[in-house]
Amino acid sequence: MSGITRRTFLQASGAVAAASALGLPALSQGAASKARVIVVGGGYGGTIAAKYIQMADPGIRVTLIEKDASYISCPLSNEVLSGERDLASLTFSYRGLGKRGINVVRDEVVGIDPEKRVVMGKGKGGYPYDKLVISPGVSFRWDAIQGMSEAATDTIPHAWKAGPQTTSLQKQLKAMRNGGVCIIVAPPNPFRCPPGPYERAAQIALYLKHHKPKSKVLILDAKDAFSKQGLFVEGWKRNYGDMIEWVSAAAGGAVEAIDPKKRVLTGSVEEFKGDVVNLIPAQKAAALAEIAGLTDASGWCPVDQQTFESTRHKDIYVLGDAAIAGAMPKSGYAANTQAKVCAAAIVAALNGQPAPEPSYVNTCYSIIAPDYGISVAGVYQLKDGKIVDVPGAGGLSPANADARTRAIEVQFALGWFRNITADMFS
Amino acid sequence: MIKTLRLPLAVALLATGIGAHADGIRTAPMLANTCAGCHGTNGASAGEFMPSIAGMDKGYLYSVMSDYKSGMRPSTIMGRIMKGYTEREIWAIAGFFAAQPWTSTDRVASAKAVHQGQEIHNRLCESCHDDGGREQDDESPRLAGQWAGYTRYVLDVCRSQGDRCRPPKMGTRVKALSDAEIQALASFYESEK
Repeated sequence: MSGITRRTFLQASGAVAAASALGLPALSQGAASKARVIVVGGGYGGTIAAKYIQMADPGIRVTLIEKDASYISCPLSNEVLSGERDLASLTFSYRGLGKRGINVVRDEVVGIDPEKRVVMGKGKGGYPYDKLVISPGVSFRWDAIQGMSEAATDTIPHAWKAGPQTTSLQKQLKAMRNGGVCIIVAPPNPFRCPPGPYERAAQIALYLKHHKPKSKVLILDAKDAFSKQGLFVEGWKRNYGDMIEWVSAAAGGAVEAIDPKKRVLTGSVEEFKGDVVNLIPAQKAAALAEIAGLTDASGWCPVDQQTFESTRHKDIYVLGDAAIAGAMPKSGYAANTQAKVCAAAIVAALNGQPAPEPSYVNTCYSIIAPDYGISVAGVYQLKDGKIVDVPGAGGLSPANADARTRAIEVQFALGWFRNITADMFS
Repeated sequence: MIKTLRLPLAVALLATGIGAHADGIRTAPMLANTCAGCHGTNGASAGEFMPSIAGMDKGYLYSVMSDYKSGMRPSTIMGRIMKGYTEREIWAIAGFFAAQPWTSTDRVASAKAVHQGQEIHNRLCESCHDDGGREQDDESPRLAGQWAGYTRYVLDVCRSQGDRCRPPKMGTRVKALSDAEIQALASFYESEK
């Protein structure tokens, strides 16, 4: 802030008025003019970071680097398994962000040089940056279960990144005999989308109830408790009777080994054989974060929870599932609000200002049946450098709610999806 | 020169929030942006059960959010969320969305539904929701151009509350409506721009 002249002050005042209409505290287009921000990863975190930086200060040059031509949403992809929707309804283009003036580049980032401040792409070479945001998602710990490997996902799909894996699991369910057992192996904490495996059990049961009613869904869990547990158990029972069975780690659900060809799983107490096996592996931050030296011994990325700047490398910010974000779960909505906090911090920093006091929210719906939805919400604040729950706020849908409440929560889930994807892509 | 200019800049920054870190105050945009995941960027909803809140009356937004927080207004999730904010923060969020432009949906219902809805509106609603639901104040929200799914939901909740629906004069009128009439009314408002 050393060089404030009358001219930049006047520019700043004008930009203040414009910025408050846009929604983020933008400042001088003069001060941050031509600053280069690169965002890597066009998902729930990266798109929002790119858009909200660009909205707050159009003088900043924002480039979004994404390896795929379009985006397929993980949230709602369990509905593909039941046949309630197809992958096309979850697929989005980056054209809307391009129209906003964000430079969208299709490339795969293979490395980062934090000293020279350059991102290395597979295609074009280097992309220099002043600030770098990465929202790379998760990768899998293949070594956590003996016998499991990336190659084995041809027969044992994880379907934990929406796309061909989702289709593969759906095809196996369609080919399964009536009376078969579909095993879902649920991962240990922390992992992407904590209620996801249990919503998936319900969506698979929805398909089986209509097409193969003698079949079962068996969840083998690495944990002894899970997200929205009481609500899921109530919802499973009400909609699917005894079709879904959950085996906790303590009861022998922790899987130690797999024979992918035979679809046989070795638990701590007994063996399980599935007709279809959906193994959701243990997780860590995406490979790029590890390669760039942004992870700690836990496999996830430590960040300043006020700004999401890496504590490992200055001027690199890590968002979403890959980041260690205090009390927040690894969810799409969490990534969305983290990206806005990060965007505001970056815009402030490029304008020579301290990071603003952050505000974060999570909202997560699970659809158990077409007329039966449940939710969890969280409101968060920064306390002593950590993201913590605001006491007394947030929480779950009520237990034993009436049918109308469950039904309207499905409509809200669908509205959530429309709005959060519009926030990302238009 | 530099010193004399720093103070007004700091004041301007406080007004929009960047310099607000020291006292721990969260700015209106910082608070309001967390709503966009469900209510659309800057509060212009992409549908259909989440209302557009951009451009609504500030006093109305404040009272609705406060009523969610206290439990006075029934909700599935809004009560849980609003408990996370102070009265001052709720006022700031209301001010942020009130300052955004209203965006009507691009939907138009069938002429039959619009006609039926208009008849009900003229008979029961126009006295508070003037000009086809375009007029608004701190007690009456804008209805024209709002998503029909949301309007239908609110009317449905009001009807189930009957005499407990607030304001009472609305409860009295809404409790007599049929499903078809509620749908027609919601479609009429959605078609008004």
